[in-house]
Amino acid sequence: MSGNFWQSSHHQQWLLDKQDLIRERQHDLSILAEDEYQKIFIFFASVIQTLGEQLKLRQQVIATATVYFKRFYARNSLKTIDPLLLAPTCIFLASKVEEFGVISNSRLITTCQNVIKNKFSYAYTQEFPYRTNHILECEFYLLENLDCCLIVYQPYRPLLQLVQDLGHEEQLLTLAWRIVNDSLRTDVCLLYPPYQIAIGCLQIACVILQKDHKSWFAELNVDIEKIQEIARYIINLFELWKTYDEKKEIQGLLAKMPKPKAAPQR
Amino acid sequence: MTTAYMMDYEFKMKTQNERIKVEDLFDYEGCKVGRGTYGHVYKGRRKDGSDKKDYALKQIEGTGLSMSACREIALLRELKHPNVINLIRVFLSHNDRKVWLLFDFAEHDLWHIIKFHRAAKANKKPVLVPKGMVKSLLYQILDGIHYLHSNWVLHRDLKPANILVMGEGPERGRVKIADMGFARLFNAPLKPLADLDPVVVTFWYRAPELLLGARHYTKAIDIWAIGCIFAELLTSEPIFHCRQEDIKTSNPYHHDQLDRIFNVMGFPHEKDWEDIKKMPEHPTLLKDFKKNNYVNCSLVKYMDRHKIKPDSKAFHLLQKLLLMDPNKRITSEQAMQDPYFQEEPLPTQDVFAGCPIPYPKREFLTDDDQEEKNDNKRQNQQQQQTQNNQQSQQQNQQNNQGNQQSNQDNHNPAKRVRLSAPQGHPSQVNQQQMPISQQQQEFHQQQMMYNNGQQQQQNFQQRF
Ligand SMILES: Nc1ncnc2c1ncn2[C@@H]1O[C@H](COP(=O)(O)OP(=O)(O)OP(=O)(O)O)[C@@H](O)[C@H]1O
Ligand SMILES: [Mg+2]
Repeated sequence: MSGNFWQSSHHQQWLLDKQDLIRERQHDLSILAEDEYQKIFIFFASVIQTLGEQLKLRQQVIATATVYFKRFYARNSLKTIDPLLLAPTCIFLASKVEEFGVISNSRLITTCQNVIKNKFSYAYTQEFPYRTNHILECEFYLLENLDCCLIVYQPYRPLLQLVQDLGHEEQLLTLAWRIVNDSLRTDVCLLYPPYQIAIGCLQIACVILQKDHKSWFAELNVDIEKIQEIARYIINLFELWKTYDEKKEIQGLLAKMPKPKAAPQR
Repeated sequence: MTTAYMMDYEFKMKTQNERIKVEDLFDYEGCKVGRGTYGHVYKGRRKDGSDKKDYALKQIEGTGLSMSACREIALLRELKHPNVINLIRVFLSHNDRKVWLLFDFAEHDLWHIIKFHRAAKANKKPVLVPKGMVKSLLYQILDGIHYLHSNWVLHRDLKPANILVMGEGPERGRVKIADMGFARLFNAPLKPLADLDPVVVTFWYRAPELLLGARHYTKAIDIWAIGCIFAELLTSEPIFHCRQEDIKTSNPYHHDQLDRIFNVMGFPHEKDWEDIKKMPEHPTLLKDFKKNNYVNCSLVKYMDRHKIKPDSKAFHLLQKLLLMDPNKRITSEQAMQDPYFQEEPLPTQDVFAGCPIPYPKREFLTDDDQEEKNDNKRQNQQQQQTQNNQQSQQQNQQNNQGNQQSNQDNHNPAKRVRLSAPQGHPSQVNQQQMPISQQQQEFHQQQMMYNNGQQQQQNFQQRF
């Protein structure tokens, strides 16, 4: 599906309001500070990214999985489903939707085990605890909570068009593309349409590379305020990264994170 | 690690209690009306009587979310057009891991409509599909496909059985393109599509480039299938009818089907289809076929034998839809602008144009046993019809002089073809999966509703 963003479920149902987002997170934010909450999502975006890369998925599929993950927790507390289970479930579902072909169950579990052991041992000391049946059960809950909206529009395609229009600069595209990937560690994919995100990321890339395309941007006829907001989210992320050492902090954050509870004992 | 529980008990209970089960909302027991490769279709009514409409409930074959189920849900969730079947709701039944899709009920489809006309013909009381109805059907099919194509969705499995027509009611006589399970997004495919699931389109409606090993599905492939359906509506015969038993092969090259196409169309000249040389199976084609065998064949002659005049507007449009070279084939948009549609009778929204509907309503398939019998009966009928058809074809071929053809065997109706889809077919990948975990034993389903945008919006806002 493309070319029909305005009629899409993405546009009609999944561009959320910032105030609503804050309200929905109230429970989690009574336990975690805002930056702690964001750090947890940065961490799981990396888990999804690494899983996707290990499974040789395209960036589009990885980005879709990440958006599923963020949409689920935009409506639910972190305590409802363990994000360590939801992350591979999002990958599993996205790969089917984005027609990469079904990842075999055993391959998915093995990859999770390897990735957690080899790349995220600084966060998890025990091995990946879930099996296929957990993923499949979780998948139904995910689909319900997504309200069956599975087609997600990404900034990559509009970005390619924009850069083309600018007179294709390889260096600019590479950097802007990476910034789009980074933007998945912020809330922008829940708040803004993908073409605006693409413009925001491109603008930051221009600033970093000290390329002056001001007049070109001025002619784009977009809501400049929105672009500035997007840029702010991403710059805040860069700021956070400067002082944040994930390897040191993440275990503590995961321990503090609200968690699923068992049935009450009678 | 301290995370002992994957899912919060309270969350689970709350979602379970909010979930509505398909069998609580609808009566459909004993009302099976269709059985396709990918599911069972039931005719249902609301239990609470809040409306008296008929609904179609499709229970997807197998358990869980196969790739084709995912695609069907993902696409139908986004698509909205009067000529594309509307997905109203999805029900997920957690206990048996069944997926149910709720659609508007369409009383008719082109497979049954054409079957009706062929039966009449076989009984020597021919009733042609009314000229105006053919035009209205074609226009609405093109309209629906144009919508899909402009959203970068390919159908890929267009055939009469997948073109539904609404019965009595507010949408009387409206075409609904259905069975999007295999529709795929086709911009930037991740793998060559032919790799992912070889051989999906029924051969009779397959474009020549696919039979010659084209690696990618295109809009033009859907257009060819529409051309085939158009011809079938005009003549009540599948234009490229061909025996089809060795469909288990994942090899796209299909000698007999190509032979059949050339018998109707003539062998393609290089000047008509320059890129034919680039087709993967072009060498095989040169080896297997002699163009001299087809010198007397042409679409003009074929259609003329079926009483469609070569100077009619209908024929001119057909010819543009059935161009061998996919690059020259007309687009759905161009086709809708064709003079055929500007000429009287003009296409109507109700394809029956207000006339009584002569076609029988869908019958119930009571249980599995009877369903088999019913299927066999259907199949036999179709075989008989097919044989009649062949006789006429063989006559045609005799007229065509010296064409080799082998048409005396059993024929399966087009509908059945996908049953023998090749192994490793993605729709089958997920079917042996998933032991049901303890937690899943509770009987609960989730319902979701899309048809009411207003309400959706409200529900969503309430959540925040
Ligand atoms: N909305 C509907 N209303 C009435 N009947 C329907 C509806 N949808 C499907 N059917 C009937 O059920 C049959 C199977 O449905 P459908 O084509 O969607 O399933 P399938 O498994 O993909 O079939 P196929 O064998 O064509 O691949 C159809 O051929 C039709 O007769
Ligand atoms: Mg079908």
